[in-house]
Parts: sequence; structure tokens; C-alpha cells
Amino acid sequence: MSRPLEFKLYVITGENYHPGRSMAKVMEAALRGGADIVQLRDKESSKRELIEKAKRLKELTAKYGVPLIVNDHPDIALAADADGVHLGQDDLPIEAARELLGPRRIIGISTHRIEQARAAERAGADYIGVGPVYPTGTKPGRQAVTTAYVAQAAAEIRIPFVAIGGITEANAEEVLRAGARRLCAVSAIVGHADPESVCRNLLEKINAWSLGEQAAVPASLPISVALTLPERRNVREIALTVNGRSERTQAATLLELAAQYKLEGRSVVADLDGAVVPRQLWGETPLQGGCSVEFVHFVGGG
Amino acid sequence: MHKEAEAEERYSRQIRFAPIGVRGQRRLGEASVLVVGAGALGASLAQHMVRAGVGRLRLVDRDYVELSNLHRQTLFDEEDAEAALPKAVAAAAKLRRVNGGVRIEAFVADVNRRNAEALAADVDLVLDGTDNTETRLLLSDVCFGRGIPLVYGGVAGSGGMTALLAPGDHCCLRCLLGEEETGSEGAPTCDTLGVISPAVEMVAALQAAEALKALTGNRAALRGTWLTVDAWHFSVKEWKLPSPVEACLYCGWGEPTAAASRELAKNEGFVRTEDDLSGEDHGDTADEDLSGEEPEGETENALPGDDSEAEKLVVLCGRDTFQLMLKPSVSLAEWRRRLTEIGCVITADNRYLLRASTVEGERIVIFAEGRALIQGAGEAERALDIYRHYLNDETRRRADEPSVGV
Repeated sequence: MSRPLEFKLYVITGENYHPGRSMAKVMEAALRGGADIVQLRDKESSKRELIEKAKRLKELTAKYGVPLIVNDHPDIALAADADGVHLGQDDLPIEAARELLGPRRIIGISTHRIEQARAAERAGADYIGVGPVYPTGTKPGRQAVTTAYVAQAAAEIRIPFVAIGGITEANAEEVLRAGARRLCAVSAIVGHADPESVCRNLLEKINAWSLGEQAAVPASLPISVALTLPERRNVREIALTVNGRSERTQAATLLELAAQYKLEGRSVVADLDGAVVPRQLWGETPLQGGCSVEFVHFVGGG
Repeated sequence: MHKEAEAEERYSRQIRFAPIGVRGQRRLGEASVLVVGAGALGASLAQHMVRAGVGRLRLVDRDYVELSNLHRQTLFDEEDAEAALPKAVAAAAKLRRVNGGVRIEAFVADVNRRNAEALAADVDLVLDGTDNTETRLLLSDVCFGRGIPLVYGGVAGSGGMTALLAPGDHCCLRCLLGEEETGSEGAPTCDTLGVISPAVEMVAALQAAEALKALTGNRAALRGTWLTVDAWHFSVKEWKLPSPVEACLYCGWGEPTAAASRELAKNEGFVRTEDDLSGEDHGDTADEDLSGEEPEGETENALPGDDSEAEKLVVLCGRDTFQLMLKPSVSLAEWRRRLTEIGCVITADNRYLLRASTVEGERIVIFAEGRALIQGAGEAERALDIYRHYLNDETRRRADEPSVGV
């Protein structure tokens, strides 16, 4: 791969969850909501049908600048010019898939214990799935690994890992608290009447946790922020300096930037390019590429 | 004549400093300054002002001297801590010895909505030595309402920040930090980060320097910046202060919003308090109480439709101290009798306050003005229990009543 794989919200197709609505429509809604990686999973269709579906999805995901992953089949990924494959523990070994796909395509693999995760990391996987965190209809009969495995993976695994399996808006916080920073959902998204808003809500939770960690540092504030959004062609992203560090952000205003650092409810003084900006004006203060922002906690002692 | 010669001698080095000169020194001698808080920053600020020779210094503080203050609060000594003197009183005594030519007015009081206007009524500048955001926002409202500069300062750990906010030139503190009082949550204090004395002195020195510029007619020399400084990981940063926010009620030309009108309505009590204060001003003894409480009692101060006990409790600066108002009609001597009777041990007793240790080991401090501090209670619920058990007339004697809450 030319650059490290970056994503937050992984969506997998599941046509049986949305009878009466086309896959394209449902997946486009998810993409509008901010899903930033898509997997085609379909255990029923023939290879011929799968290639067609993959090609249609590739067109759609390309429009949103999001990678498309094909479940199980490296040959279909190649035929449809998808961005990678996702393997199960019983599928083709990673090394074999890598030979077929070459160095630039993404290879991910499902893992259910830390030993599998370590092996995947050693074998050169680009990411791993960690799950099923909760019992799920997508994988009936599979023992849930619980958030304990999520915490283990968070502590040990250096390649991106995505928590998967029975994740919903209701339990997402719990998974994030365990250390996950990427979530995957199937039925909770594609089975919902409004996949777009589900995605938006999930992303909001993920962002809160990703950025909250850094904003919690007291004295000299932020610090490194993993604004690791993929290049989205339809979203403006700028480079800027926040408290002395080079960052990238999609925030359009000072208020949006402050929200990313979870500073809304706190006594904070904001400086933009050498001048303090009154809090009331944060919302109407646009951020320009190359600008420098400093947030400092208002000091209360005396 | 002799007095003038003495003043010339006393301030000779300051007068020789060209930007001040004879004219600046004369202006300083005509100036009145309010220092709010007589803790670390406040005591240092007061000392700078008194030594520099302001005409009148008004000092107000709600706390008393404790041993843990002495490493940074330079006006106080072990005797003050031993005697548990109110900081305002102890500071005034020292300051009078430093410069007998300055009129020093000390008030043992909690600065609140009802007395802030009166305290700032006839001063030229307010120096902030408080330890909480709420009071600072209140001072900002008052200063911008009156058109006098507020010199904010805050310290925690090894650093702090400061700015002179000048009405007409800059936006107010409320605009800087947000319309609503965001609370001190997240704002570092001496209790969360600790504090070292050099950090206090750095910030106080910067505040005092701006105050001297403003008071000696050197307004052009004012920094006009928000400055942050750290004495340990040495750094100094400053950013230009923003202009008034047009829509703001305090620093701009905004119309009162519904919420702001309510706030203003609450301030009606000012007029009377101001009369009270000016009455006291004519007296020679300056160590007055200024509780800001109306003689009728607390009812006016309570939130409409809510007189629950919890509303009376104020947490002081996260240092395990709760403040509440008692019936001012009960004298300290009477409190002494009551508390002893119910099993408390009196640990300090002076004309300004009474300190007692409860059976469980918490400390109750009652000031002559009817204000009480409960220290060491840990949680608000426990502080309320102590209030009910020891301080509330209705519930005090039924000590065997099962306690409510935790």
C-alpha cells in the first residue's frame, strides 16, 4: 500500500437485511453518513454475479473516495478492481493472498483471539477484524469474544484493528471504552431505515473517543490528534498548526475545531494567528489552510 | 511640608523612572484600587500597590490564613495562621506597617452579585486576585458596566496568565470565555495542579506593572495582550486582545437578553448595599464586615421558587471547603456556646471568626458576618449533614435523627 490504511467506520453489505431496497441505495446512504471503508460480503451469489456487484460497488465507493474490500475472493477483487480482500481464518492464507494481489492492495483478516491477531500482524495483514464482540446474526453460533479481546488487541496490536460483531449505536460506547477506535457494523447500519444517520451517530462516538483522549491532557493541551480520515474528495481538509503541532482537519471553523478536541463545555481561551478570538465568535471564525491555533485552559487559581 | 518631603524621599526611585515621574506619582497618590482576594495573587498585588503609593487600597477576601498558605502568600506569617486571622485583616495590618500613607480598607466578605457594585463603586481599577471563574466573570460585568479596567490574573502549577481588560478597547471576560459561566471545571487551580511561589509572583508582577501603567497615565504603554507565562518550563506567550463584541451587553452595545435582564434584576439590591458601604466608609476603622446580605435575611438571595438547603452551599475552589450563609443575628459568642454544647472543640476564636472541630473531625468556620465554611467534609451531602446537625436551628438539637443521604 502506498500509504497507511486509515478508516474509522467499516460497513459490510448484507442484502438480506434490507429486502425491498437496493444494495446501491443502502450503501450510498452509509457513505453519505461517513462510512469510510466498504466490504462486499455475499455468501449466496455465484462468482459471476459477485463480479457484477463488486463492479457496481466499486463505482460507488470510488465516487466517495472510499476503499472497497471483497470478502473471501481475491480473484473477484482483482476482476472488479476492488481495493482489497477480507479473509476468514479458514480462507486463503495471507501470504498466498498477497502473492495474488500484490503489495498495494489491502488484506484484512478476521481474528477471534490474540494469537490469531499476532499471527496476522506478522504475516503482513493491513488490518484485522476483532470479533464477534457480541453475539450476532451475521455469524450465528459463533462464541462472542467480548470487549475483553478488544482491550487485548488495543494494548498489543499495532496494525489497525476494527471491532466487529453485534455492534450497535447502543453498545458502541462500551466497545470504544475498551480501546477500539474503528468500528464495523452490518445489520445495525444496513438493516436500519436510515443508514446515513446511524453512520453519522457512530462516527460521532468514534471521533469523541479518538480526540477526547488527547484533549484530556491538562496544561499544554492538545497534542497529537489522529485526524486520520481518508482523502474524501467531497470534503475540504486543511493543514494547520494546533498548539504547536502540525495537524490536518476538516473543521471549517474554530468552533468545529474546538468540538473535535471536546472543548465545548470548558473554560478555554482560543488564539488564532496571534489574536484571541472571543468565544461567541468561534462559530463564525473560518479556519484557513496554514493557520495557527492555540487553545489554553483558563487558569483559575489565585 | 514635612510630609511631602517624606513622600518625595519614599518614592524617589519610582519617580526617577521616567514614564512615571512626578506627575505619575501624583496620579498614583490620587488613585483608588480594589484588590479582590487576599490570597497569593491578591496579597502580592496589594503589596505592590501599597508600596508604590496608591491613595487608597480596598482589599476584600472571604478566607482566613492557614499554614498551607504560607509557602506562597507572602504577607502572612505563622502567627497569622496560628490565630486563624481573616486574610483581609492580616494583610491590612501588614500593609499599614509597610506604608502608613495609604488608606487601606479591608473587608472580610465573599464577593457576590449583591456587593460587587458597591465594592467597585469609587475605584479607578480592579485587580483580580480571586481563585475562581465565577467571581472573575462577576468582576468583568461590574468593571465593564462602570468603565474601569480589570486586571485579570490566574496561577496554577508553575505558570499562569494575565490580561488588562479595558472597557472600550477590549472585549470582556464573559465574551472571551463564553456567554455562560462554564464553571471552573477543567480550569486548573492551585488545588488541582499545586502551585509554586515564583509562578504567583511572576503573574502578580505582570498584573501590577499593567496597573501602574494605567494608574500613572501611561495607557499607551499597556500591553493589550493576553499573556501566558511559565516559570518552570520557561515560556512567555502573548496574543492580541480582541475588540469589544458589538452584541455584548457588557463590552459592546447589545440589548439585554431575557437571561441578562433577569441577572440585572437580581442586582437591584446594589443600591442599598452601596449606601451601607458608604456609611461604613466614613468611619475610621476599616476592617469591616461586608457580607452583602440584606438585614432582612437571606430570602432575597435565594433562587425564586427554590429554597432548598443545597442551594445555599457553595463549593469553594475545589479545596474541600463548602460555604453557606447562616442567620446573621446569632453572635460568635452564641455560636461558641452552642457548638461547645453539642460536642465541638473550639480551635480558633478571634473577633472576626470562630473555628470549631466537629466530633467527626471536620472543621466549621463561622465569620462574624454570618458566613460559614465547612472544611474536610468531602462531599456536599456530608457538608449538608454537618449543617443540619450543628448549624441549623430547626434540626440542630435533634442530633440523633438519622442522617439523610450518604
